[in-house]
This record gives sequence, C-alpha cells and structure tokens, in this order.
Amino acid sequence: MRVVTGVVGNDIHVVANRLIEISLKERGFEVFNLGVNTYLEEFIDAVIETDANVLLISSLNGEAEGWSRDLLFLKSRFDLDGVLFVIGGNLSVGEAKEEEIIPKYKAYGYDLVFHQVDLNVGLDIIEDTLKGKR
Amino acid sequence: MSQNSNRLEIDIGSTYFKIGTNGKTNQYFRDFTTNIYNDVKNKCGEIISKYKKNDIFICSSANGGLSTLIIGISSLFSIKYATNIAFNSGINIIDTLLYSKIDEAIPPKEIIDVVIIAGGIERVKSKFDNRLLEYLKEVKYSNIVYVGNGTDREFLKSNIDNLVILENIIDNRLQIREDELKEYLTNLYQNDIVGKEEIKKLYSITSNQIYSTPYIVNRSLPKLRSLYDVADPFLVIDIGGATTDIHYSTDLVVNKNILTSSSYDRLVFKKLGVYKSRESLVFGAKNNEFVYELLDYLMVNENILEEDTLKATTILMQLAIFLVLYQVSKNSNDYISLKLDILNSIVVTGGVSKVLSQDDIDKIVRFFYKKILHFDTIPAIIIDREYKIWTLGMKEVHSV
Repeated sequence: MRVVTGVVGNDIHVVANRLIEISLKERGFEVFNLGVNTYLEEFIDAVIETDANVLLISSLNGEAEGWSRDLLFLKSRFDLDGVLFVIGGNLSVGEAKEEEIIPKYKAYGYDLVFHQVDLNVGLDIIEDTLKGKR
Repeated sequence: MSQNSNRLEIDIGSTYFKIGTNGKTNQYFRDFTTNIYNDVKNKCGEIISKYKKNDIFICSSANGGLSTLIIGISSLFSIKYATNIAFNSGINIIDTLLYSKIDEAIPPKEIIDVVIIAGGIERVKSKFDNRLLEYLKEVKYSNIVYVGNGTDREFLKSNIDNLVILENIIDNRLQIREDELKEYLTNLYQNDIVGKEEIKKLYSITSNQIYSTPYIVNRSLPKLRSLYDVADPFLVIDIGGATTDIHYSTDLVVNKNILTSSSYDRLVFKKLGVYKSRESLVFGAKNNEFVYELLDYLMVNENILEEDTLKATTILMQLAIFLVLYQVSKNSNDYISLKLDILNSIVVTGGVSKVLSQDDIDKIVRFFYKKILHFDTIPAIIIDREYKIWTLGMKEVHSV
C-alpha cells in the first residue's frame, strides 16, 4: 500500500511530519513524504505519479481549511477513484467543535477527518478502512 | 604567419558574434547576407589565421535550438522534471501536454525536434494507452524518447517506431533522475549544431567540439564569485537578439520540489530579444498591465516602441529586463516562480550589457521592486560588459 503524505500550506511542522512518515513505514506502508509547505496540487500530482492508495495530509497550524477548498475541483480533473483522502491534525484556527469540523472537511472531499486525534488511533482507522475497501 | 600561443574563443549568436583573446572581447554584428562562416572569416580572418585549430574554441546559440514537446501525466512531477532537464540541456522551445487532456489537445503544426514522454514511478499501473498513439500520428517529429514508468515500456516500444527508451526520470522516492535524459538531449543539441551547414563549416577553423552557448554559461556559474562580487542567491540575465536566457540559483525557486545535482537552473524566454524577436517583445510589453506606467517612469511614450533609434533600443532592453523579472515573479503563473524578495545579486550579460548603463539597469530594477514587490531596496547589480562569464565558461569546459 502506498501513501502520499505531507503538511499542507504555509505550515512547517516538520517533527509531526517525520513522525507520521516513521509510523506509516512501521506499519508496512510505502511512503512518499512531500514534507512541509506543500501545495494541494502537488499532493494530487504525487498520487497520480505513484498510484498511491492513500493521500494523508496533515496540518498543525489550522491552515488546512483555506487550502482544502479546491480539493473537489482538483479531484475532478483526474481519475482518482479508489484513493482514500485523509486529513488530520489540528484542523481549525482557535477553538472549534469536532461535530462542525468533520462535516466541513468531508464536504471538501476528504473520506476520513481526524481533528486532534492520536496518531496511532488515526492510522488504525485508516488501516481498517483500507481492509474494508479491499 | 606566426602562431599565437594563447587561445581564441568565438561565440556565435543569432545577432552578434564575439571573439575573445588575451582577456579582450570584440563583438561584431552579423551580416545576414552571407553565411556565418564567411561572415566570421571576412571580419576576423586575419586574427583567426594566427591561431592553430586546436587553440580555437567555439560555442554557438545560432542554430535556433531544438523544439521539444513534453507529454506527462502531472504538471508538478513528470512535466516539471522533464522541462527542467530540457532547459538545462540547452533546449529553447518547449511545449507541454498534460496527458489527461490529450483528447482535446491540438497537435502542433510545426515539426518537433524531440518528443519526450514521461510519467509515473517505476512500478505503477499503465499510464498511457491508444490515445497517445493516435495523438502521435498527428505530430511530425524527428526524435522521440520515453523516460516514464516501467509498465508502459513494452507497449510503447512495440507501437512507436524509433522510440528511444531511457531510465525513468522519476525515481522510486519521487525525486528527479536527470542524467540519461540530459545526456541524450545534450547530444541531440550537439548533433543539431553539427548538422547545420553553417555551423558545420566552422569545424574547418577549429579541431575542438563546438558547444552550445547556454551550456557554456551555465558551467561558469559555480565560479562566478571569482569574477564578480556576487552573493548567492543570484540571477544571471542574458538578453540577446533572439532570446533571453536566465540562470538562477535553485534556492530561489518557490515550492521547490526538484533536487538536482546542479545548484543553478536555466530558463529561456524564446520570444524575448531585442533584434530578431523585437516584435514579440513589443507585443509582450504592450500586454503587460504596468507598461504604460513604466514608460511614463522612463519619461517616454509608447511611440518609442516603433522607432529605430538607440533610445528605442535602450527602452526595449529595459522593458526586456522588466518582463523577465515580472514573468518569474509570483505575479505570473508561468513555468517557474522565483523568490525575488531574497535575491541578492542580478548579473546582466549578453548584448544588453553593451548598450545599457548601470543607471539604466538600476532604474528599471528599482521600478520593478518598488511597483511589484513594494521594496525600497534592490539587489546588487553587476554588468558583465566584457563577457567574462562566457570566457570563464569556455575555460571551464575546455579546462586549461
């Protein structure tokens, strides 16, 4: 299973990014880590070039909301059926309720949304979802 | 005739040719009524006769460069990587096609020197199908090369005549792998130079390989500090008669996702020159939203663009500098955006350096930084009036 991951937008949380990469590799995923400060377009293009099964975007400073608005448009330009779109981290600037955030991001085009969820819990859910998809 | 022990270096451009010896460079306007060889011999026959064939070194950008069509499956990886390699191999004219849009794409009418097909890391499902073959039937090309994933290799090889297959330009970490394609394109460029009758004749005065001028300039950049007081990151602007080349520190690239072996990349503005491409330069200038404000700042009006005077040439060269900076700024969505806000030095070379004064260049760069970037300070500007960059590059390539 291949995963493209990275931190979206003007966000330089490189430690979290490395932890995600290490954790994914530990679970047997083939990881393509685009690093920090990554544009949404680059994530999509990386999925196309690698045939990734999962796109896992992280965001720590809450900027993801602004960067995710074009996701549906970008997805519509390519055949990305079967790719699991996941976002996790701190998904809002300031206080926000999970029951508001999750539907918002799902409307942007993400299949799984993890707001302030422990990394391993999130990765367990991704693995379960992939097993269900197979 | 006595033999001179030094070297004679010759650069053949589309508008000028220049000859350098003993640290001095002279420039001559091309006589378009005769071929390059006769022109060089007529103007400099005497000096050439003083040198042995193996002491004469020639580079040329007068062959017009190769035209390239790049077909890739994504803009930011396969197309971007192939474009980067092509520019750094001396290719001037590049068109790109995103494979997902191939059904609606109109094939180019002119003959393409080389088609490059790229896409995918090594082990992926098939990315190319019959739509590519149908499209290629409509394209007239001289060479075609595949540098994409392993899965499609057999399918394309058995369906495309004379397809050259090289290693994938995308490695399994999604990084660029440039060596094989770069070597292939550089050789193609060399063969093109040699194949051109006019250039071929120049081998009667030199026994050394004739290189492309952009390649020569690029080779000098790591040692530019030995010539000038430049600080990284810097930008070299080479405005010629037909095209404008820029060479830039890769640290300047916004959203840099390419890690190449070289720290300096090249980009060509194929229709930005002050003689052969004058019309398209004027057209480009008139379509820029800031041009009238700029002309006003230079205390002229748009009528100057139609004049054939030294003042008009000066203004056109200033406009060319402005347009180059504008097109690589974040205001433009072209191939590349550079972080001009962290730029430390601008080095100006090429024909423009013989015409513009330090004040002319300072003025235009100041306008750009003030108007577009809202900066009060500008990078240090160095003018390479004696073409020392080219001379250094020649020495690097033909290492003495």
